[in-house]
Amino acid sequence: MTPAPGPSAPLPSSQRLMKLAVAGAALLVVAGGAAFYYASKGTKSANPGESITVTINDSACDPNEITVPAGRSTFRIVNNSNRALEWEILDGVMVLEERENIVPGFTQTMQAKLKAGTYDITCGLLSNPRGTLHVTPSAESEAEAARPALVSFIGPLAEFQVFMVTQANALVKATQALDEAVKAGDLEKARQSYQKARAPYKQIEPMADLFADLHNSINPVADYLEKREDDPGFTGFHRIEYGLYAKNSVDGLAPVSDKLLADVTALKDRIRGLRIPPEQIAKGASRLVGQIADSKVTTGEDHYSQTDLLDFEANVAGVSRMMALLKPVAVQAAPLVVSDIDSRLTDTNSALTALKGADGYPAYDKVDADTRKVLAQKMQSLAEAIGKLNAAVGLE
Amino acid sequence: MKLTTALSASLFAVTAAMIPRAAMADVSPLDLVGPIADYKIYVSENLEVLVTDTKAFTDAVKAGDLEKAKSLFGSTRMSYEAIEPIAELFSDLDGSIDSRADDHEKAEKDPEFTGFHRIEYGLFAENSTKDLAPFADKLMADVTELNKRITDLTLPPEKVVGGAAALMEEVAATKISGEEDRYSHTDLWDFKANFDGSRKIFELVRPLVEKDDSAFVIKVSGNFDKVDKTLAKYKTEQGYELYDKLTDDDRAVLAAAVNTLAEDLSTLRGKLGLN
Repeated sequence: MTPAPGPSAPLPSSQRLMKLAVAGAALLVVAGGAAFYYASKGTKSANPGESITVTINDSACDPNEITVPAGRSTFRIVNNSNRALEWEILDGVMVLEERENIVPGFTQTMQAKLKAGTYDITCGLLSNPRGTLHVTPSAESEAEAARPALVSFIGPLAEFQVFMVTQANALVKATQALDEAVKAGDLEKARQSYQKARAPYKQIEPMADLFADLHNSINPVADYLEKREDDPGFTGFHRIEYGLYAKNSVDGLAPVSDKLLADVTALKDRIRGLRIPPEQIAKGASRLVGQIADSKVTTGEDHYSQTDLLDFEANVAGVSRMMALLKPVAVQAAPLVVSDIDSRLTDTNSALTALKGADGYPAYDKVDADTRKVLAQKMQSLAEAIGKLNAAVGLE
Repeated sequence: MKLTTALSASLFAVTAAMIPRAAMADVSPLDLVGPIADYKIYVSENLEVLVTDTKAFTDAVKAGDLEKAKSLFGSTRMSYEAIEPIAELFSDLDGSIDSRADDHEKAEKDPEFTGFHRIEYGLFAENSTKDLAPFADKLMADVTELNKRITDLTLPPEKVVGGAAALMEEVAATKISGEEDRYSHTDLWDFKANFDGSRKIFELVRPLVEKDDSAFVIKVSGNFDKVDKTLAKYKTEQGYELYDKLTDDDRAVLAAAVNTLAEDLSTLRGKLGLN
């Protein structure tokens, strides 16, 4: 029960009425009876399965303070005011549930499935004071928080799909520009477009590299090919990078950029149709960051342009996005794992930012072994933190 | 799924491993990911249009071009109305962008009465752009903020699927009566946008319900078609006829279709396991 404001505080009329009602009741019955009266009028608690009736008067809700257990509740909203109104349950500015256009004199029923917490309820006119809805934890809600239902991953997975499609579109667009610049013989523009295409590719790399065939033609590194740069299997990004940065020329690159464009377009189409189970997000992110820690930090993969730090930055940006999407679902079940991931991400980002100068990142061959070792450690800790997420939310 | 196996296997195997057989009659939550993602893209596209259109509309208001501002009012609202189930999730912006005079204590004279309908009141009831510039600026800022917030928002799937019916209920409650656009009478623009928004949601989840309940799908499609056909009669070069041109017969056809659609579509959440 909220304490009544002091006598000097200006009272909205509803509260003044309430005080009068309380005072009047106190005159008629014993003090205990008055407390009961107030409790039954001003606030209301519901048991599971019971419905709660909320009456909206011209200037307030009655009761204006409600307590329900977490889970599904039924509200009966009675419009006792003289205007049509909507009734909303708000979490901050977000509408959780609402019933619109309740005509004066009418009652509407609304079901809401609520998580534990404190929410506002609206009471008619936008300027009317809001009521409070307390939702207390229940055995059911605790169990669900500890092991989120599959249905709670729909939103994050859909958002992840949108993110990947957006990045894939950017990748195709930049690759198109690269292809055009190569064919126009414009070395400088080709280099710019090359860098523009790398970032979106690296952001979605944890999912892109699941397609083995495309991965092998889009991003092979000469080190793993028998004849290195002369190998016919040397295609894709790094073959173009080799031309643009090692040979300083677009000669012979037209068929390569043609093929790269076809491959990234195919990647985009496959990503659009991809059906990702929820555990793949953390799994993919952890695997990728682990690979960076284990090998890429040491060997690098941008041998000719030495832009590995930009790749890492884009990789971490993609991983951050993936983690941000899972966070709202995971935070109740695994608050410690979630905050650990957050701080490891911050660490990794700071380590990268520390290397950035006025002109951006240094060439990767100028980054010494000690610095690389620190970077690898940050990546390793991040990979391990993310690796704990699935088990902590019941996805393993 | 064993990762090493998947990585060394062919793409076909990877895809097969990631896509469990969809033979079960019940809709898996994962089946909804694609439709919700597509709907987010639809919402984003509409927001982009809304921001562009609102800029042109508010520019006309601020330039004092009454005729142009009036002519842009109906069309500018369409992208907002099409995505209303999501646009109205932010109570503060819903209030400042789309509240009616009735929502405020002093009605039209209330300083908190802002947004589309406040500008509509000035343009159509007072027939002037006088003193509307601050409302125009505020609307532009609110729409920009809405776009930003929704871009960052993970759409709640039950709001998306429930939105199909919510849009029809909205039409039944505020458009059939001509209540919403009471100064401009451009309700048919809103009407059309609400229908398109509702139908979009229905079409996105249609493949998930079609197999088990083809009769439902046929009935809902039929009612949407009926509405489209009726509204098409009022299509003009610029948009739609004013609401008072709607004949009583057509109003009855629309009202019946809307109520049936609202009722039928309200079962979608349950059919898709989102209750």
